[in-house]
Amino acid sequence: MNSSNSVAAGAGLGLMEVAFESLSHILKKKFQSKSKDVVEMNLSAAKFGYDSVKDISLKTTLKWNRRKPKGALIDGSKAFALGALAGDCRFASFYPMSPATGIMAQLSLLADDFPLVVEQAEDELAAINMIIGSSFAGVRSITATSGGGFCLMTEGLGLAGITETPVVIINAQRPGPATGLPTRTAQGDLLFTIRAAQDEFPRFVFAPGTPFEAFQITARAFKLSEKYQVPVILLTDQFLNDSLFISEKPFRAPKSIPRFTVEDKDIKAPEQYNRFKLTKSGVSPRALPCNGEALVVVTGNEHSEDGHISEEIKDRVNMARKRRSKVKNMIKEMKPPQLLYEKSKTLLVCWGSTKGAVMEAVEVLRSRKMDVGCLIFSDIWPFPSDHVISALEKCKKFVMVELNQTAQLGQLIRELTGLSYSDAILKFDGRPIYPNDIVERVIQFI
Amino acid sequence: MLDINVYNSDFENKWCPGCGNFDILSAMKNAFVDLGISPQKLLIVSGIGQAAKTPHFLKCNAFHSLHGRALPIATGAKIANHDLTIVVNSGDGDCYGEGGNHLINAIRRNIDLTLLVHNNMVYGLTKGQASPTSELGTVTKIQLHGVISAPLNPISFALSLGATFIARGFSGDGEQLSKLIESGVTHKGFSIIDILQPCVSFNRINTHSWYKSRVYDLEKTDYVPDNWMRAMEISQDWGDKIPTGIIFQKDTPSFTDRIDTLKESTLINKKYSEERLNNVLSKL
Ligand SMILES: Cc1ncc(C[n+]2csc(CCOP(=O)(O)OP(=O)(O)O)c2C)c(N)n1
Ligand code: SF4
Repeated sequence: MNSSNSVAAGAGLGLMEVAFESLSHILKKKFQSKSKDVVEMNLSAAKFGYDSVKDISLKTTLKWNRRKPKGALIDGSKAFALGALAGDCRFASFYPMSPATGIMAQLSLLADDFPLVVEQAEDELAAINMIIGSSFAGVRSITATSGGGFCLMTEGLGLAGITETPVVIINAQRPGPATGLPTRTAQGDLLFTIRAAQDEFPRFVFAPGTPFEAFQITARAFKLSEKYQVPVILLTDQFLNDSLFISEKPFRAPKSIPRFTVEDKDIKAPEQYNRFKLTKSGVSPRALPCNGEALVVVTGNEHSEDGHISEEIKDRVNMARKRRSKVKNMIKEMKPPQLLYEKSKTLLVCWGSTKGAVMEAVEVLRSRKMDVGCLIFSDIWPFPSDHVISALEKCKKFVMVELNQTAQLGQLIRELTGLSYSDAILKFDGRPIYPNDIVERVIQFI
Repeated sequence: MLDINVYNSDFENKWCPGCGNFDILSAMKNAFVDLGISPQKLLIVSGIGQAAKTPHFLKCNAFHSLHGRALPIATGAKIANHDLTIVVNSGDGDCYGEGGNHLINAIRRNIDLTLLVHNNMVYGLTKGQASPTSELGTVTKIQLHGVISAPLNPISFALSLGATFIARGFSGDGEQLSKLIESGVTHKGFSIIDILQPCVSFNRINTHSWYKSRVYDLEKTDYVPDNWMRAMEISQDWGDKIPTGIIFQKDTPSFTDRIDTLKESTLINKKYSEERLNNVLSKL
């Protein structure tokens, strides 16, 4: 019999200065179905590990709070799945790829109790096109993948763009092109995601920073996707999806789900219905196929208002303009990045799952009397330039904190506001960033 | 009885005069009239190619999608609303080439769709390159020394995967073709109809008269399409005599029949419940 795991657990927890009773409690529970001997052996193995590191002390020690924490213990994957249900998502299609698979596993667990069908597609091309088909037919739908799968989905993303079909796509990032580091974390897909697929069409891109935000933003994504008839891409990563967080804010279901589709009775002359009718907002009344007199015709080719193929200059220009014209209202939906300690001389700027580490680093730095705040993005695209300018205008300098090599959000800020970051803390080794990584670097800059 | 003219579309048809697609289009209209499916109740999904333009040329709800991707689009639509009648128009390149994996899996799912493959043994829209069904030796502007890969046999392929409705039609026999389409639409499960379709511009070998002198209707023989081994045998026939008609059919529950969630109502007709979700959320 082998109890080396218990030795390791004992040593690990010993280094973190956990009381031994906490571990023995867990071990007893874990092995309760086994014989007394097994329990005893594991306990003594754990004790052996625990005692053997007694004299080693780590640079940082943890304070152990023995109270039971308030709130929910939840990982990002589960929060995305629940957020989808809060957006009345009823169909999910996916092809397994870490670190996105957990989201679909969570949705599968929920599928027996909700009006939800989860289908493992034959590949990512099928996954995206299935959800375009189901959404076209009137059901809110989602897919989740990682970078490589998202690459395969890009033609479908364009199809959703040109047919103005709402879809929600989760891109759970991992490092590296091609297969990269399948089980590690990264933020290297931001610029790819905002521009993915050929030509130009509007989309939303959000990057939640915590499970609670993942829940809320996913629900919101379904609403916005349907309201503007555009694809929404949610950027997450291995760290957010697979780590457990304590979420104090309570998760609540929305009272009702606003819908943005029309029926015959809402259309003046349903027999003459045009799916792509030109409007000021760029959004045309969206009827569903086989749901009355109105015939719904869509194509991935450029088209006229009735949805039939057209290569007329007028149609091409009108349709491209129509799609583009949605952006002015889409921008109004963007929440400003979260600004903490707004009057600080130096702002750390980040997006997505580095939020926690950055906020903690700011507290540490401030406790050392350093004038540092932070600006945290979750709503990224269409880029809320005005909000960003007003947040960054007052600081003396800002420093990017990102898990990629070229400060992708920093590039975007410079391109769209003219404001340049002065330094960047960039980590691309596949591991999450810790508050200490940030603190140590900031001290060098200031 | 519906008037066949209700399907007329005023969208300009640019198929080459004499193209077999015109006959397939007529056979479709006739089948829909006989089945009593109005344009409002019909959804046609297609990929990209000459064949895939079909839904623009008849009145219906239509999703003209991407090269190779008609089947997943149609599958998604069927899952969302399994009351829909969905017909898919595809070409041999669209379906057997670019979309091959989707065909394998549509068959495995036995999703209740009717797939019409306009098989002209060539890429028509892109001006005559070889397709997965081009015969060995076919010379094109790309395959200058003739095709060197063996052609795919769609009938044996579908049989080997356990397809539940497999037929071969010929655009030159409109009466038989419209009956096959009717049977395909009525069949509860995935139906594939491979339709021999002359391309007058890019396939000078497998012409209308080439087919005409070779095809025969299995229904006029003592063939019964319920024996898989026999079907596999007949699927190998090609050359002087080409069998057409229903080659194999069996009843198996379709994909959406197997999903408990869809037993009582379509997905689209279900209701959101705040309470149901809060029950889960409150246990976090
Ligand atoms: C992703 C992608 N690759 C290639 C093409 C170009 N393309 C359009 S149709 C086609 C082949 C058409 O052949 P087939 O499917 O047999 O249909 P047909 O035109 O003969 O009816 C190709 C290669 C495309 N539209 N999209
Ligand atoms: S190129 Fe061939 S398939 Fe296309 S329309 Fe002309 S004849 Fe028909």
